[in-house]
Parts: sequence; structure tokens; C-alpha cells
Amino acid sequence: MTRALAAISIVALLGACAPVAPYQRGYLARPDMALEASAGTAKALEKTYGSKEAASGSATVGGGGCGCN
Amino acid sequence: MQAALALPIFTAPARAGPIDQGEVGLTFLGYKERGLMKISEPIAWGHAQIAESWEVRASAAVDIVTGASPELISNVTGRPVQTVTGASVSDRRTTWDVKVSRRIGEATLGVSRAISNEEDYRSRAFGLEAKLDLNERNTTINVAYGQSADRVRSADDPTLDEPRDTREYLVGWTQVLSPLALVQSTLQWSRGHGWYDDPYKHTLTFYPDDAPAFALDTRPSHRNSLAWLTRYRLHVPSARATFQADYRFYRDDWGIRSHALEVAWSQSIGERWSLRPALRLYSQSRADFYSAVIPRPAPAILSSDQRLAAFGGVSPSLRATLQLDGGWRVEGSVGYVRNAGNLRWGTGSDTFETLRAYYGIAGVSRAF
Repeated sequence: MTRALAAISIVALLGACAPVAPYQRGYLARPDMALEASAGTAKALEKTYGSKEAASGSATVGGGGCGCN
Repeated sequence: MQAALALPIFTAPARAGPIDQGEVGLTFLGYKERGLMKISEPIAWGHAQIAESWEVRASAAVDIVTGASPELISNVTGRPVQTVTGASVSDRRTTWDVKVSRRIGEATLGVSRAISNEEDYRSRAFGLEAKLDLNERNTTINVAYGQSADRVRSADDPTLDEPRDTREYLVGWTQVLSPLALVQSTLQWSRGHGWYDDPYKHTLTFYPDDAPAFALDTRPSHRNSLAWLTRYRLHVPSARATFQADYRFYRDDWGIRSHALEVAWSQSIGERWSLRPALRLYSQSRADFYSAVIPRPAPAILSSDQRLAAFGGVSPSLRATLQLDGGWRVEGSVGYVRNAGNLRWGTGSDTFETLRAYYGIAGVSRAF
């Protein structure tokens, strides 16, 4: 049920999107619209939370692991 | 030891369009737990676009960990508590990663490599990624594969040298919703096998009517997980601000289910400053084999590591950014982390000892 709702939501979302032309993307290029913080801050935050929680995972793969105390 | 796939190598498109030819930066993390660990981490990072179609990203960091790490969970005082035994911990981890990608028409192909070394852990990882822009670059889909070959060692036991291998698969989708909004959703599967026991964690349990029992940390020899991350950005021109929301659901075959939600408001102030207050909420269920005391009869696998307990967390933070002339940018963040059993969305482990920590992140970078 949950998966069906998710699939329906995605399809509905895609259908609702009109293409945005390049000249309309000024706001999208703002630094605060970035999906990641700056590389250094993103790594520092990953370290801060990842070493104290059981869960991990982000929009990346191939990062390797650590023996976090 | 706990698996922590920590280094973001394959970052899905972070901006809707490139605005710089490159950037280099230095960032410093300071993290302090009340009564326990202290972490210092300088990070050097950068990325550059070369000959229009090539891009290189790289970073290097040193983790310096000092302080006391809880090693023994004992109920000698009547209830299970963390006990620090032996000398204080002092560990240094060096790590670097590099990613090279090339754009070919609407597709981008990338390959990455990551190396991490510490006295008691070694990691070698690589990744492959393919990304495709569709719908006049309003939609991006990406798939990635990563693999890491790790070795688990122990500063206390020179004979310990065991493998831990992990394979990761990722599929992602990024959609421009409007001139003011975009969303990204990624699914990441991870399949790992090898040594997951933490050689530094032990459990000592006293029984009222029997001799005390002592157990080493023992965990399954595999760990398969799924992480579903969705990120949303909405710019509000009238407020000169951007609303940011990230949500991650995680589950694995150790019985852990977790939710992590962060919401933030990035407010521009004048032409140079921005402030970003944020609140991160976290909740996880316990691993099937987690117990702060040794049951009778003793199970084959058991861990009292409270990172595997049921708990929740709340973490407010504030980030300030100053944009200077010449492409220079200065950034600073301060945050507080409080993890506690009663902060879980549901019932938490009553044996979880509340964690209170502070962190600060300072960075300077220059775009060119």
C-alpha cells in the first residue's frame, strides 16, 4: 500500500512539472538551493552524526568505512 | 566497531547549473561529548572543471579522536551503565578520496576512489556512477555502484585482522519542480559481510542468584540495509530565503529502523551574509541482538553498544555564511546534539544513557 502511494505520488509529481527553461533557473543556482552543504561541512556533519547512530546512507556510494569509536 | 559509510563520493547534482569553474576550501570540525569523546577533524577539499567536459573532486581529512570511549556495560551498581576502562582513547584516522567524471552529451560518467587508514581499521573503496539528464535538464536520473574492502583490527588485540566487505547500489532521481523548487530522492542498498564485532565493547552482568557473566561484543557476520533519502528545496523570493528539508528512512536486517528529518531556513541578510537555523530530529529502533545485560541463557550474538539501542535525538544548529570579494567565502556552524531513550518516536531503551555533545564547524573557501 505504501509503495503504491509512493509510486502514485511520484507519477503525479512528474506530471505536474512543466519544464523550466534555462533562463528561469537563476534561483535554482543559488548556493542555498544546493542539495549538499559545502563539501567540508557535509563531511564534518556526516562524521558528527554517523559515528553516534546505527543508520547511515546518503546520496553517495563508494565512500568506504571507518572504525568509529 | 560500527559500520559508518561516511565519505560522500558520488554526490548527485547539487545545483541546477554550474556557476563556478572550481573551488578549494579548508574546513575544521570540533566535536565534544560531555564526559566522553572529543574529535578534531581538519578537512581540505576542492573541485574543478577541466576542459569543459571533465570534473575532478577530491578531499583529504584527518580525524583526531581523544578522550574516553565507553567499553564496558555493567550493572554492578544495580542498573546497566557505561563504564570507561583502561587508558583514554587516542586515535588518528587519515582519509582521502577523489572522483573524476566526464560529461558526454546528456550523460555523465564517473569513477571514484577512497582510502581510509587508522590504527585499528583500514578501508579501500571505489565507486562507479552514470548520470543522465532528461527533459531539457529538468530531470536527472543516476545509478551508482560502490564497493569497499575493509580490515578490522584492534589496538588491544594484535592478532585481530578480519575482513569486512560491502557492496552498495544506488538509484537516484532529481527533478526541477518549478523555477523555485527542486526535489531529489535516492535509494541506496548496501550488502555487507565479514567482521562486525566491536573488539572494544564488553558486557558484565551480575545476577542476584548466580555468578556474574561476562560477554564479548558479538554481532551477525552480515549486514544488509536500505536507505531512502529525499531532499527538497524551495526558494521564497519575497523573503529572500530558502526552505530546506531532508528526510531519510533506513532499515537493515539487524532489526534497526530509523528516521532522520532535518528542516532548515536559509535567510539572506544583505548581499553578503546568510543565516541558516536548522533542526534535526532522529529516531531509531534497537537491533534484535541489543541488550544492556546478558540474558539467561546467554544468546549466541549480543551487543550492549548503545548505538544499537532504541533512542531518539534532537539537534538544533545555526550556520552563518559570509561571501567576500574575489570568490572568498567564510562559513561557520555551531550545533548541539542530545540523544536520549525518551526522544525516540515510540518507546526507547530505558538503559540508554543520554548523550550531550556540542560541535563547531569553521571553513574558508575560494571559488575560481
